[in-house]
Amino acid sequence: MANKIIRQKIVSKNFEIPNSHKIDVALQNGRYSTLDKAFSKDPQELIEMVKQSGLRGKGGGGAATGNKWQFVTNKDGTKYVVVNADESEPGTFKDRQIMEFDPHLLIEGIITTCYALGSHVSYIYIRGEYEEITEVLQGAIDEAYERNYLGDNAKYKVDITVHRGAGAYICGEKSALLESLEGNRGNPRLKPHSKTEPEWYFDQPTLVNNVETIATIPFIVENGAEGYRKFGTEKAPGTLLFAISGQINNPGVYEEQFGVNMLEFLETIGGGVKNGKKLKAVIPGGASTPIIPAHQIKDVTLDYECLWGFNSELGTGGMIVLDEDVCMVKTLKNLMRFYNHESCGQCTPCREGTSWSEKILDRFMNKTATLKDLETLKSVSTIMNGKTVCVFAPAASGVIDGILRHFESEFLECIK
Amino acid sequence: MKIIIDDQPIQCKEGDLLIDVMLNNQINIPHFCYHKDLGIDGNCRMCMVEIKGAKRPQIACDTFVKEDLEVSTVSKKITEVKRSILELELLNHPVDCPICDQAGECKLQDYYMDYGLYDSRQTTEKTKKGKNIDLGSNVVLDQERCVLCTRCVRFTAQITKTGELGILGRGDRARIAVAPDFPLNNPYAMNVVELCPVGALTSKDFRFKQRVWFLDSTKSICHGCSRGCNIDIDYNETKYGSEKVHRFRSRRNKTINKSFLCDYGRLSYKELNDVCDKKSSSIQELQQAFINNDKKIALASASLSWEQLDSIKSFCQKNDIELFSLPYIDDSFGDDWLKTNDMSANFNSVKKLEISYDEKRFQDVLKDSDLILNFDHKYFKNENKSDKTLVQFTTTSCSENYDLIFPIANFAHDTGHVINCDGIKQKFFSTKFRGEQITLTQLLEELR
Repeated sequence: MANKIIRQKIVSKNFEIPNSHKIDVALQNGRYSTLDKAFSKDPQELIEMVKQSGLRGKGGGGAATGNKWQFVTNKDGTKYVVVNADESEPGTFKDRQIMEFDPHLLIEGIITTCYALGSHVSYIYIRGEYEEITEVLQGAIDEAYERNYLGDNAKYKVDITVHRGAGAYICGEKSALLESLEGNRGNPRLKPHSKTEPEWYFDQPTLVNNVETIATIPFIVENGAEGYRKFGTEKAPGTLLFAISGQINNPGVYEEQFGVNMLEFLETIGGGVKNGKKLKAVIPGGASTPIIPAHQIKDVTLDYECLWGFNSELGTGGMIVLDEDVCMVKTLKNLMRFYNHESCGQCTPCREGTSWSEKILDRFMNKTATLKDLETLKSVSTIMNGKTVCVFAPAASGVIDGILRHFESEFLECIK
Repeated sequence: MKIIIDDQPIQCKEGDLLIDVMLNNQINIPHFCYHKDLGIDGNCRMCMVEIKGAKRPQIACDTFVKEDLEVSTVSKKITEVKRSILELELLNHPVDCPICDQAGECKLQDYYMDYGLYDSRQTTEKTKKGKNIDLGSNVVLDQERCVLCTRCVRFTAQITKTGELGILGRGDRARIAVAPDFPLNNPYAMNVVELCPVGALTSKDFRFKQRVWFLDSTKSICHGCSRGCNIDIDYNETKYGSEKVHRFRSRRNKTINKSFLCDYGRLSYKELNDVCDKKSSSIQELQQAFINNDKKIALASASLSWEQLDSIKSFCQKNDIELFSLPYIDDSFGDDWLKTNDMSANFNSVKKLEISYDEKRFQDVLKDSDLILNFDHKYFKNENKSDKTLVQFTTTSCSENYDLIFPIANFAHDTGHVINCDGIKQKFFSTKFRGEQITLTQLLEELR
């Protein structure tokens, strides 16, 4: 049974207040008010609280945040908190709203997180293209330094450095992000052998969390784990900033609890498909999640577990709506152009597989493809899945498989 | 501890790297990026194996062995994975083996014969990249043949720490490159040619000179300095019957040179081709010289083998000749890694055999002597030493600076031992050259 649409605002509360990025306005609207409560608690108590809240990473992976924090504190060394603001997944534009309209919420979250982990240094790795947002964010950080929420004179010393990326999608992958932050080429690292391993920044234990995840922390501190668990589902408590784009009447970012019905969400909040067209499919959580055809959408609820059941992912919750006029061959070609352009080129299956897929799709586009090309495309997709360092190639593979699974007939029409 | 690979039990130690276990046990495991002395990188994905209990195929270069690990390298599934990855490696490769200098020792060729043997499914254009790029230090790059294993990049980053090489671009546009005006420039640069598993990096010194399947190989020790790096001498006979050494390759020795060689040592093979073509003097002539000259002195090169030095020593003792051996010291040659200031290969043997290396005493004795026996020492190679009678026992061609000459076999034609700077005694072997050059030991035997 799907959850009701309640428009609960946890991180988006201040978005519509004018000048909410200014510290005076932010302070009037409750920012930095949870810090004293956080500092009155033992750091381990905070970590337990986050564990109990069931908060899951909101950058797409959905891993349990509390466990991630614990892995960092379990290790000796200087701790670092890195905020992943390299938001470059197509169809996803939620983190920028927080940094643009409520940057002090993020700063407040960072201070609490640093306190819980015993860290004094934090980096915000922001997408290079977010130039104006970087200025807003940096302005807010400067204000926080002036008012002694950050820096040497703060109650708990935290320094935040904003680091701009150089335009590589793969640097949103946490280990590639850290490589990039260390000054190296942004290639993902080999996965650790232990499941309780934190990330490592210059060989020191490091936490990498998404912007929205960190921005949720002040709410949990204020309302407790139970306060957060009031929303969402058992396994995915709380809310997420869902983004809608594509052929929809009200594109935008809307905060909603997990577990609501996708079709209901698109119709009531999204305002239905543009120009009264029929819905064809939805890419549910950013470009890297396999497509859901229209006939399945009424059964989909917006939480991680339900979408797994449809061979897809909730991802970042950035839904791309496609209407009946959309050509799936063009859609797949567009997506593969993106993956070919952004593959870091480290692993062979990804480097060669993404480019080969795009080249084969070109043949479908100009109708010179043969049935053999379709077979080749399928087998390239198979070899990209599960044989690389990071999940970039499996994601690209899932995108191909998803579209072919539901719309193969459109590809057969393009065969000469 | 034991693990099971393809139903065979294999003994190994807990925590060993699976790929090392397989390589040490001669189990065929295709790989490009893994190298024992450069470590794990995990980018080529060629060494995938099936591990019992694991959901997906795993790379052997990032798997540490545990008790009773069960590995399959030959199952249908894993063979298909290897075939597919190889297909992708070759997708944008120009397949220009007939004009590629790597042909015959190319991993892509080997693995294609082992795991490929498919018909091309490619219906699209290949990605074009740069060709014949001179990186500097004798190294030439063909980006289209490259599999981006980054061995060369890691070598300059981790080993020489000079960092000249890097990767530019992403996806299938990724390519190895140097920055403009910063060519590959370090004393170990040519190692990248040997590290390259394919035909992307070739050596200007060796390329197009000889097909590798015409070469024979012999285990030897580099004589360029006292480090004693282990090498393979690659050589053959030319069409006209003369013999030629074509290159040195490093031979792995974990404690001495790992898998590396300095460029000076690598190119020192040229000396082996510089053999003396003069007609040997006769033994009678030498005996006559012994009678005519009373005061004799002998100087032996500190790069001669233990066996040679030993027989020179007993020869000199028997004939009452004072023997010296001076090392070749060049303070500008050594570094903190492989190269040593002592450029003689066997000075430690000189010390062990208690041959004098007192240079002052040598000069004094030399002044008074009238017959010099020079056993291949460079001291008398080019300088004309006035009125004294000079007998040259030489491995290389020398100027007209001699009275008697005895060409002897160089270390490629001889077998023997050298003791390196750290006191490690190592054996080198003679190549199978047909042309019989007399070795010094045989010659001294005849002189007795």
